[in-house]
Amino acid sequence: MPLPEFDYIRPKSVEELVSILAKHGSEAKLMAGGTDLLVLMRDRLVRPRYVVDIKGIGELQGLSWDEGRGLTIGAAVTLNEIIASEVIRERFGALWSAASELADPTVRNRATLVGNICNASPAADTAPALLVHNAEVEAVSAKGSRKIPIEDFFKGVKRTALGPDEFVKAVHLPNPPDGAKSWYLKWKRTWGEDLALVGVAGLVANSGKWIVRVALSSVAPTPVLVAEIQNAFEGGGTLEEKIEKAAASIPGGICPITDVRCNAEYRTHVAAILTKRVLRKLLGLG
Amino acid sequence: MSKHKISVRANGQLYERDVEPRRTLLQFIREDLGLTGTKCACERGDCGLCTVLVDGVPTKSCLVLAVEVDGKEITTIEGLMEGEELNPVQRAFIEHGAVQCGFCTPAFIVAGGALLKRNPSPTEEEVKEAVGGILCRCTGYRQIIDAILDASKGAKK
Repeated sequence: MPLPEFDYIRPKSVEELVSILAKHGSEAKLMAGGTDLLVLMRDRLVRPRYVVDIKGIGELQGLSWDEGRGLTIGAAVTLNEIIASEVIRERFGALWSAASELADPTVRNRATLVGNICNASPAADTAPALLVHNAEVEAVSAKGSRKIPIEDFFKGVKRTALGPDEFVKAVHLPNPPDGAKSWYLKWKRTWGEDLALVGVAGLVANSGKWIVRVALSSVAPTPVLVAEIQNAFEGGGTLEEKIEKAAASIPGGICPITDVRCNAEYRTHVAAILTKRVLRKLLGLG
Repeated sequence: MSKHKISVRANGQLYERDVEPRRTLLQFIREDLGLTGTKCACERGDCGLCTVLVDGVPTKSCLVLAVEVDGKEITTIEGLMEGEELNPVQRAFIEHGAVQCGFCTPAFIVAGGALLKRNPSPTEEEVKEAVGGILCRCTGYRQIIDAILDASKGAKK
């Protein structure tokens, strides 16, 4: 099935992109890797009049980190660029492992982090990692620029907080707390490539006080952060007891559906197990 | 919908063509350039049979617009011969009988060759990872993985 007709625009600067969206926003779709967009267009689920390729814009290419500002990932940065970054591997383990689990290595040569979140699939692998790392999304339009906390970015299945004239310029991740570790575990049907049946990202730090964050994909209309996990670590008890308490709070924090890949009960079961596994891994309990 | 003029080097040869924006790189390669070694199957990025190299990087050509590759260099299965000789991956596929129906073979050879260029002595796990985006619907993976591993040893000799 051929793609439907559209016009292709390749702006060279952020200013040019802002003015294209100010004029054509509701009729335009942005393309970075195209690995979601072209599939949606082939299925006629999306019919843009204009496809705006952002890869010609130098300002969207960079990936940068420093001790003060943390990590900034531009909209055109591919997942394989993220995987190649030593800083991300060492300090943002959940993002590194989520990027490594997304689709397959060939797709990751084109697919981007920003594309993954703008597609706003409930199964977005990188979203739980961004949630546990308190990421912020930098959105730009003719009206200016604003920072959207990642918790407020996802509004429903395939829906985000972005207006039709707005685009994501970059995602920012603050430096994690001292000694923090994070990781992402993905449950899938096949060893090679699959969408997540359930995905769980965890972040754990303790310099006098516990900071424990867990977020999940494929268990609700949007990726979700389960805030009750933090409470499980604030009372007394052994680490094992805290982990059990954390896992027990998972079913109340998610609302999975039954679909072609597995049923809701199974997702709930696996979500609690993966939560325990990721916490045990991060706490060094093997 | 206005056409765009693109200039692409494919397997060493320069082509200039006018393309519609909706034309995929896969359609461009097969229908406009007549290079039918690259296969069209799922057309949604799942099976990887349309894998080609864009500036040396393995890419699923069904998920790329032809207009995006203006100024770039494309390598397909037709461009892998070294003069009149098969390249080491092609030879190893024959020696290992790594072909059943043959429909996925060009993609595996293109991706396997790209892996060996980047990493001349991969482990079995690295081979599996590198070709993880390509489906062999006959499920003949064992011979495919062995052939790529063997080609890497061949490259060391």
